[in-house]
Amino acid sequence: MKTKMILFLWTISVLTAQVGPAKELHRNPPRAWALTNAMVHAAPGKTIENGTVVLRDGMIRAVGANVKIPKQATILDMDGKHIYAGFIESWLDVKTVKKDTSLQANWNSNMRAYLSGADLFHPKEKSLNELRSLGFTTAHIAPKGGIFQGTSGLVQLGSSPKILTNNVAQVIEYTARGWGSVEYPTSLLGAIAFIRQGFLDAGWYSKSQHILEKYPDGNEPIQFDRSLVILAKAKNNKQPFIFRTGNELYIDRSSNIADEFDLNLWIKGNGYEYRRIEEMPASFMIIPMDFPAKPDVADPHNALQYSTEQLKHWDIAPDNAAKLADAGFRFALTSAGLKNRSDFRKNLSRAVTRGLDEAAALAALTTNPAKEMGQTKRLGKVAPGFIANMVVTDGNYFDGKSKVKSVWIDGNEYEVSPDPLVDVEGNWTLKEGGHSWILSIKSGGGSLNADEKKLILANFKLDQDRISFSVNADTLLQKGVTRFQGTIIDGKVSGQVAYANGSTGLWSAQFDEAPEKKEKKSKKEKASDLALVFPEGAYGLDGDVPNPKTILINDATIWTSGPKDILKEWDILFQDGKVKKIAKNISIPRGNALVIDGKDKHVTPGLIDAHSHMAGESINEGFQNVTAEVRMRDVIEPNDVAMYRALAGGLTTINLLHGSANPIGGQNVVMKLRWGSFSNDLIFKHAPQGIKFALGENVKRKRSYGRYPETRMGVEQVIRDAFTAARDYKKAWDTYNKDVKLQRSAIPPRRDLELDALVEIMEGKRLVHSHSYRQDEILMLTRIAEDFGFTMATFQHVLEGYKVAERLAEHGAGASTFSDWWAYKYEVVDAIPYNGTLMTNAGVTVSFNSDSDELARRMNLEAAKAVKYGGLDEAEALKFVTINPAKQLKIDKHVGSLEVGKDADFVIWSGHPLSTYSICEQTWLDGKQYFSLENDKYLRERDGKVRNDLIQKILKAPNNGGKKMKAKGRRGNRFHSCDAFESYTFEGEE
Amino acid sequence: MKRIILTLIFSSFIFANDQIPAPPQKHPILLKNGIIHTVSNGVINGSILFDKGKITHVGEYISPPAGAEVIDLEGKHVYPGFIAAVSGIGLVEINAVDVTNDHSERGDFNPNVRANVAYNPDSEIIPTTRSNGVLIANVAPSSGLVSGQSSIMMMDGWTWEDATFAHPSGLHVNWPGMGIQSGGRFRMPADKQKKRRQEALKGLDDMIKEGRAYTRLRQTQSRKAEDYHHEDLRLESLIPYVQGKRPIYVHANEVRQIEAAVHWANRHEVKIIIVGGKDAWRTTDLLRINKVPVIYEGVTALPNRRFEDYDQAYKGPALLHEAGVQFCIASSGSAGGAYRVRNLPNQAAMAAAYGLPKDAALRSITLSAAEVIGIADRAGSLESGKDATLFISTGDPLEIRTNVLQAYIQGRKIDMNDHHKSLYHKYQEKYRQLGILEE
Repeated sequence: MKTKMILFLWTISVLTAQVGPAKELHRNPPRAWALTNAMVHAAPGKTIENGTVVLRDGMIRAVGANVKIPKQATILDMDGKHIYAGFIESWLDVKTVKKDTSLQANWNSNMRAYLSGADLFHPKEKSLNELRSLGFTTAHIAPKGGIFQGTSGLVQLGSSPKILTNNVAQVIEYTARGWGSVEYPTSLLGAIAFIRQGFLDAGWYSKSQHILEKYPDGNEPIQFDRSLVILAKAKNNKQPFIFRTGNELYIDRSSNIADEFDLNLWIKGNGYEYRRIEEMPASFMIIPMDFPAKPDVADPHNALQYSTEQLKHWDIAPDNAAKLADAGFRFALTSAGLKNRSDFRKNLSRAVTRGLDEAAALAALTTNPAKEMGQTKRLGKVAPGFIANMVVTDGNYFDGKSKVKSVWIDGNEYEVSPDPLVDVEGNWTLKEGGHSWILSIKSGGGSLNADEKKLILANFKLDQDRISFSVNADTLLQKGVTRFQGTIIDGKVSGQVAYANGSTGLWSAQFDEAPEKKEKKSKKEKASDLALVFPEGAYGLDGDVPNPKTILINDATIWTSGPKDILKEWDILFQDGKVKKIAKNISIPRGNALVIDGKDKHVTPGLIDAHSHMAGESINEGFQNVTAEVRMRDVIEPNDVAMYRALAGGLTTINLLHGSANPIGGQNVVMKLRWGSFSNDLIFKHAPQGIKFALGENVKRKRSYGRYPETRMGVEQVIRDAFTAARDYKKAWDTYNKDVKLQRSAIPPRRDLELDALVEIMEGKRLVHSHSYRQDEILMLTRIAEDFGFTMATFQHVLEGYKVAERLAEHGAGASTFSDWWAYKYEVVDAIPYNGTLMTNAGVTVSFNSDSDELARRMNLEAAKAVKYGGLDEAEALKFVTINPAKQLKIDKHVGSLEVGKDADFVIWSGHPLSTYSICEQTWLDGKQYFSLENDKYLRERDGKVRNDLIQKILKAPNNGGKKMKAKGRRGNRFHSCDAFESYTFEGEE
Repeated sequence: MKRIILTLIFSSFIFANDQIPAPPQKHPILLKNGIIHTVSNGVINGSILFDKGKITHVGEYISPPAGAEVIDLEGKHVYPGFIAAVSGIGLVEINAVDVTNDHSERGDFNPNVRANVAYNPDSEIIPTTRSNGVLIANVAPSSGLVSGQSSIMMMDGWTWEDATFAHPSGLHVNWPGMGIQSGGRFRMPADKQKKRRQEALKGLDDMIKEGRAYTRLRQTQSRKAEDYHHEDLRLESLIPYVQGKRPIYVHANEVRQIEAAVHWANRHEVKIIIVGGKDAWRTTDLLRINKVPVIYEGVTALPNRRFEDYDQAYKGPALLHEAGVQFCIASSGSAGGAYRVRNLPNQAAMAAAYGLPKDAALRSITLSAAEVIGIADRAGSLESGKDATLFISTGDPLEIRTNVLQAYIQGRKIDMNDHHKSLYHKYQEKYRQLGILEE
């Protein structure tokens, strides 16, 4: 039993020097303490047993086993306690205002860089208490709202929060309000473009201001913009830019932006870093201790709604921090994002039990964030000269059972779970009127025992040091209820007893023994033993794909899609990822190659789809009628299982296009389906840049927020206007670049990502792929292109291309069409499946595309329709999905046919590739095997077992709280097509 | 007198015009020297004879009766017309233009509406569909909880009455989603979704109960005032279904929906057919034991779930076949799928590529389909006594590259031109005029 000294803290009035006048008299109580006999965790990995910490005036003055205690200090005995440096909560959101009504506001409300998070921090005492109860003494406050969200700051979490710095990092988020919102951007695509343009604008603005100051004459003043000022300053000062990220892909995207603009990158992490840990940038990360709740798998049918990667995430999430620590990342931890913030310690302790190094965890709460946030000399350690921020616990903090007793902030103590004034639990010897009893007290009640008798205490009450209770028993002196009251001092109680008849007497009790504490034995959690696969989830690869140096296929029917046409019972040799030789008989020394028996098999080039939306996380930025600034390469979704399914149908290369919401859409990216690779490695490096345009119904559709154009007439004008603007833009730059005087004294033209892309088109550096249906609009766009001096690369869909095939041929545009789609909308009433044949016969390079994750799996059968409708030669028909799309994308030097020197992208079919009965047996890319029936079988078995084992594990696991995962079993079936206006049209389930 | 006419199959192509419905068969037609795929009785190298719309003889050698038109097939193939076991064809013209659509009546509960009265025999989609050998379709409405009654239609006729093969073929129910949807746009909150589902399920229970009560009432011949009841078109339409005389087509893809539907059918003693059936392979025992047939819609659909095999949908029919579940293959019966029903044979072929025996694949869109929708006595195979609804093709029509040369519906010789061929010939002419195509 212990008695605790009572401390009175005038926490409100006793603060450090303030600028304001004294309200009544000056208060100057000594603010000095000595915390003695403690286990002092001075720094991660550095512990002082029986240590003393001396604080004075809000600062730590001395720390050690033997330190001199100043006379004015109040000594606090910390026997059995642990002292840590105050923890830094590395992420705390504050919501910001939505609209900047200042005259200095940016054109777009997503630009709020001028805001300061710390300024806007107005916490309720309750939330401060919650943070302090976890040991947090300081918090990194991040403004939330918009895209450029403002500057973060560090605040002391005392009753009157105090700003340590309001200038830590610029916060950025990929905010997009979705289709139907009233402001650009509406999509991830647009958000990224907005960020990139924001950095350019900041640079331009700061340069322009500089020039305006120097040369006020002759330069038209530009509108003030307080966000751009701050942004430019932050960038020039190498201040960190911290990106809020939702998963590992967003970290990658942030890394790309940081590389492009030479930013000091920080990451607000998400818990999924482990998935691509080797691809993560070496930047400071703030990692949430947010683990998902147990998936509901008790009902086997409900369990089907969870994807395998979700089940795995449940198992691996608690190991994320340990994996980052092991890989040497600099990171801090945060309780942000937890469903219940109070689960933070439990989760942290689980992470430590499962293998997170304790010193690393402590560093992640103290020295790491302190260092990154420029507070190395002030925060993060229990050391002289540091701010007196401390956490006092009754045991190891990382053992979930210990308690945070108090925290110290700026040298002021905030009690969290103070010891009770008296601890009465246990057995006492009670004496009353010559009787002796055993008084047994347990959790707010107890009993009075003697010999065989046991009387249950009623009305038990403990108020500070005053105890009272009653017993109903005639075995005591009298019949009726006898009442006891007394005062506890140092393990002794003395007081008065009131008997049933109203008479009184004295009683006393002496503390004998504390109750035995039963240690609950819980099973020690272990780190997940699941192997990671790439991408995570079913069919992810668990190692390098087969990559033999030399591959020889014997005696196959080879559809070259090249000058050699179709070769029956020929051999083909691949080496170092290229086609090496095609001949009637190729022999090579035994054992030097992977030899595949091609008898009865057909080999074709890897199929190419010139119109795809697979592996794109965001498809349309449709708010504006021209969005040439957005890029599909920014939103690649390498986890999209559609790629694997397409590989299983022989597809190897896709043209990932922007949607068709606007006349001038975003920039496309050509990708090779290197399943398992991360975003940037999917990109077809040799492919020229391109862009998507769109005509007709999709772009002129009337929209709720009203957008020009609403007719094909307007569409023509929008495109013409955009190129006219681009021509002016180019002229302005040309003039500026030629004139040295101008460069010195004039405001430079503003770099505009949208116009840059349009200029590139006119310079022939960017291919235009235009969604189109009707002959009028096809003809129209060829005319605009010729007016502005460029040639259309392809018309997409181009279902009435057959009506103006001679024009397409004359202009030199390719036609990438559907095999047989029609009747789904008015502008396709005259679409015919003979389109491909008619255009081919008129000299147009024709391909068939999918515009569908489903159809992309069987492009060979689409090609077969060109034989059916119009009787095209079979080899020519196959070219619709091989060399022709390659030509259209200007990648035919590398892929599209089996010719010596080209990429070893090929497919082995069980039979004739245009037969509905044939199946794809193997798909190779760059000489690597990305799909085979054999490996697919292995993956099915592997993943079936993983799923089953995980479900068993989940069923047996305790409930650890956390956020419920929204089941995403059906994720991956995204019905992207040109009309998909948002990325997540998949159906998920809870 | 024997008249031997060597028909110029493509002759109609020369004239791009509207397709004219064929008159009734006036004389016997003998197709000889063909490869006759009877479906019910193997492949016969020989002849097929039909008269007055009915097949009268299939055999290796048939001597032409008097007045017969004899066509030498020179080794070409004859197949029974393909049957679309569920389709929106005739009710949908241009899916995105809603005034051209008649597949979705307002409201959740429309058991009484009938498909055939809105079937447009002049739909441009119909000729393009029969051009690929699909000659019969079970045309179904598709909205709400209870969509209405389907009609089995022939792909030719001057009026919807001419084109009707059988009506009604069944009542269509869209089984409510049994999970809670999240993500995507415009999602209802979970509790609201649950409430909606409960309401829908109760609505289905109530429908049968009310239908039963109404049926009993209609069967009483009593003249007593208290037994008199006003007629109710909706309940009236339910009578054959609550009596178990006709099937209820339950559109359900997810396993929980399928199971719930089967239990519902057992509870109410009604006959059901599962339409969709993506997950049917997961619950084959239940389907087989309860003798519930499946119209498998999505051979060329994506797998239902992220972790399912890439060929899960392709091999679905093979799995049902192996498990002994009665099934047939359909193209999507959705409104948007109406124009794609011409690719029905490719769906069957895809199933064959992924495990379904070839003969079962052919059967799955002919005789099996006829059996499931209840017209096997008149269609689905080449047998004497059945309708002469068949076509001549250059080869295996499950292969995309094969072309259908001539179709007959109940012995009537069908105009094989269509909107697509017309435009094809029109624009060939343009390029001839420009000198791009040779004359």
